[in-house]
Amino acid sequence: MKKQTLALVMAAIMGLTTACSGSGGQTQGTTGAPAQAAEPAKEAESETKAPADAEITEPVTIKFANYAVLEAGYDVYWNQLLEEFAAENPNITVELVTAPYGEIVNTVINMAGGGDMVDLMYGELDWIPTMVEAGMAAPAADVLSSELMADIYPSILEACSIDGVAYGVPMYVSPFLLYYNKDLFEKAGLDPEAPPTTYEEMLEMAPKLAALTTEDGNKVYAFGLTTASVPVSGACLTSSIHNFGGTVLDAEGSLAIDQGFRDAVAMWKTLHESGYNPENSKLKDLRNLFALGQLAMYYDQSWGFNGVKSINPDAADFIASAAPLAGGSGSGESVLQAGTLMVMNNDDARKAATAKLVDFILSEDKISEYFETVTPAYPSRQSMEELQVVKDSALLAGAAGSVGKVKPVTFIPTLSDLNLELCTLAQAVTLSGKDVDTAIAEFEASAANVIQ
Amino acid sequence: MGKHAQVRVPMTARERNDRIFAGALLLPSVLITVIFILVPVADSVIKSFLDFKVKNIISGTPGSWNHFGNYIKLFSSGRLGMAVAHTLVFVAAVVIAQFILGMILALILNSDIRFTRFVRSIMMAPWVVPTIISGLIWMWMYQPQYGLLKYLVGIFSGGKMTDFAILNDPNTALLGITIAALWKQIPLTTLLLVSGLTNVSADLLEAATIDGANGVKRFVYITIPSIMSVIKITVSMAIIENFKQFPLFWTMTGGGPDNATTTLAILSYREAFVSNNLGSGAAVTTVWMLLMIVVVFVYNRVFKDVEMN
Amino acid sequence: MGARGKKKIWTMAEYLILAVILLFLLFPLYWVLMTSFKTNMEAYRFPPTMVPEAPNVNSYISLFTEDNFFFIYYKNNFIVSGITAAVTLVLAVMSGYALSRFKIRWNRWIVAAFLSAQMFPIVSRMISLYDLLGKIHLINTRAGLILALTAAMLPFAITLMASFFDGIPRELEEAAIVDGAGRIQTLFQIVMPLVKSGMVAVGIYAFLMTWDDYLHAVTLIQNDSLRTLSAGVALRYLGELSYDWSKVNTISVVGILPIMFLFFFFQKYMVKGLVAGAVKG
Repeated sequence: MKKQTLALVMAAIMGLTTACSGSGGQTQGTTGAPAQAAEPAKEAESETKAPADAEITEPVTIKFANYAVLEAGYDVYWNQLLEEFAAENPNITVELVTAPYGEIVNTVINMAGGGDMVDLMYGELDWIPTMVEAGMAAPAADVLSSELMADIYPSILEACSIDGVAYGVPMYVSPFLLYYNKDLFEKAGLDPEAPPTTYEEMLEMAPKLAALTTEDGNKVYAFGLTTASVPVSGACLTSSIHNFGGTVLDAEGSLAIDQGFRDAVAMWKTLHESGYNPENSKLKDLRNLFALGQLAMYYDQSWGFNGVKSINPDAADFIASAAPLAGGSGSGESVLQAGTLMVMNNDDARKAATAKLVDFILSEDKISEYFETVTPAYPSRQSMEELQVVKDSALLAGAAGSVGKVKPVTFIPTLSDLNLELCTLAQAVTLSGKDVDTAIAEFEASAANVIQ
Repeated sequence: MGKHAQVRVPMTARERNDRIFAGALLLPSVLITVIFILVPVADSVIKSFLDFKVKNIISGTPGSWNHFGNYIKLFSSGRLGMAVAHTLVFVAAVVIAQFILGMILALILNSDIRFTRFVRSIMMAPWVVPTIISGLIWMWMYQPQYGLLKYLVGIFSGGKMTDFAILNDPNTALLGITIAALWKQIPLTTLLLVSGLTNVSADLLEAATIDGANGVKRFVYITIPSIMSVIKITVSMAIIENFKQFPLFWTMTGGGPDNATTTLAILSYREAFVSNNLGSGAAVTTVWMLLMIVVVFVYNRVFKDVEMN
Repeated sequence: MGARGKKKIWTMAEYLILAVILLFLLFPLYWVLMTSFKTNMEAYRFPPTMVPEAPNVNSYISLFTEDNFFFIYYKNNFIVSGITAAVTLVLAVMSGYALSRFKIRWNRWIVAAFLSAQMFPIVSRMISLYDLLGKIHLINTRAGLILALTAAMLPFAITLMASFFDGIPRELEEAAIVDGAGRIQTLFQIVMPLVKSGMVAVGIYAFLMTWDDYLHAVTLIQNDSLRTLSAGVALRYLGELSYDWSKVNTISVVGILPIMFLFFFFQKYMVKGLVAGAVKG
């Protein structure tokens, strides 16, 4: 159950993003470019029909599990996409399976237990190990068109793989990057074009930002790091550990707590004790505070902007992104996040129809539209390297290159639960005021239970 | 029964028919209860002794006996003990507070003050609010940055506590959920107690007053014993309901912060549906059920003794 | 004077306590209602405004125009809760009557089964229940959800119903049977009219309790057009993206109102019945 390093071939994306960010300002870290050449990327047009597709003459129904179809901010895009797909493919009926974000994995598992397996599922990258462990996920190459598979950046495909087999393809990717509020920086007398690059710099700027108040006289938080008990918070905390050069799990999936890990936990405590970090918040809480000008910087996935925008439509005026901070002896590596399409094992007709739907979702038109109308992110296909919307995105410019500096997370079947334990650890050093060593010792004990 | 004995011979035939009739009336309910509740529960208890994960469901392979492994792991990691403690504290706090507040309100509503009819009617409003929505309402009241509670605490503490966030402090999070639970449950408790109180014999109370018994004495020696059956059913309903409480915890805290609100309900859900270890989740629910049965049994025993006195 | 003064203070104390408890019970509802009329930006103001400064109904308008799937959840919930309540009621009357009147041999066991069935947490039987309903192809159907909910409601409903029947003197039925009425006829024509208030109570209780259901609905229904209110609210408004508190509060108001009207309409019967049952039970 190990997943190898993801970093290398991200050079392709880096090349693109640094190119368009102009001034750049980010160093490329340790990642090299040669792998790009090693991948004989087919010049496949995204619209090219996969061979399997041509034969869909009989009506076929496929099931698509997607929580976002019903979530405000995403619903319009998805419903329109499915309508367009239906118009183009009258023979394929897409039946939606919906459930709340936190419940959809169980829903899909329950359905499969009752003999009813969905064909496609949209969700987090971290859900892959669960689906594989359950024996539901099918190797993506068995279902999807070879053109598409060859076009996905190999490193991104790696990130979806267990033991070298990819079980899904990301629609788009993003690391946990730093969003900051330019207006607040200016108000605090800081250069809005020079966000911090290390935790030390951040801690120097923080007091000035924390001294600010909003127009209503409310507190401004300097730095937001999500710690509330939901799996995605654990992923963000892992990213912060990676910032410090630390690890949570080694390649074999055993606990590997090192100095970087300890440094990161100590930083969480510092952030809390200085009152910089809003207590026990979910990403959506941070997005709200950020949208209201009550939070100067925070870590989020690039698409978190969508949540910010939904609260304050003017947020685009003051939001900017920056690469994840480096801490301790680390170089600011982070964790890759992706809106991932996972495929399951059903009969050939359904597989062919599923491939067609995935091709449609991942077509240049639809992805561009997504980045433009829903939320910015980085493409997962090499052929979209030059995608205009990404180039034009001022929002992503600051964090250019950071997607290439992600450190892989070892996929274990209980990754979600481990992530929750990380949240508990963060809460222990902050809300419960436990010291770092005690809290880590407790974490080790409970995580050991989760991992076995 | 003596009447039956007089006409014994035709009665037996009737009795047999009665039995068939009763059986027919009971059959659908018994079937539904057995199929949809008792069999699944038994199935879950069996699974708690097995190594049973999600892949077993998908592939249709039965789980394998794992020598009480699920229980041993849960006990030795301390998670189970913690969850039991949180559950018991929560149930005790809600049931006791609800009874005391409900009783106070009921006594007031039963006295000769004005507007009681109106109050009795509008006070029921929180009870009909769906639990999920009541969770949302209280999360909004408790919101750490712009919540009403933070504001009120700020005022009442004279500006000393400006950052009160009840759900973010491991010491107060359970209290926060307790308040939300009380809000929804006090109305029904009050309603039942009020109706009990209206049935207390006025003659008896008057006689006691003439004998010189004061208000407290009358309450303890006449009112309470007269409404014992109402109290008993009210409290036992509250115990069962709060033992089973899940949505409020799940929406409001998800078991955090620092596990401060991880009850048996949350633990079982996490084991079964987050870790996807169904055997382990079943072990938690089995302990949960046993605990509930023990508590209800003890409760009934204690109450039986009280009634004897 | 002393005694009267004391009484006066006592009465004032009573009013005071009453006011405090009522404030606790009703203020959150007022607060939700007020927030629903605020703009998001005003809702996030601190210190909060007690009455909206610029009251507006925008979130209601967008709820009723753009997000009108809400009506589907409503409709589904009324159908599911209504049928569940009706089925529960019929079964509870039959079983309650049988348990109350005919002391058959396994009575104790049946009563014990019903009592214990009330105590089992839903989580513990969800997986098996899913499996079971899957086998009879009732997953993702209203019928399946109704069956599961009926099973969850029945035990308490039966115990309650039995206690009502206990309160009806047997002589009436015996007289009817002597007059040559059949058992079914006796039940429907003689006994049932006497427990009308109990039936209303059980029916409404079952309705309200199923209206509150979350776990069954979220597990057994995956199709948005069949979803009920609590699950729908969780799906749409407790998502991962962001909190739109003004809309959350609007949805809370809209989610509460109809059921509250319904309750106040039936309250008289329900209270009388539930209390009578509880007192005797």
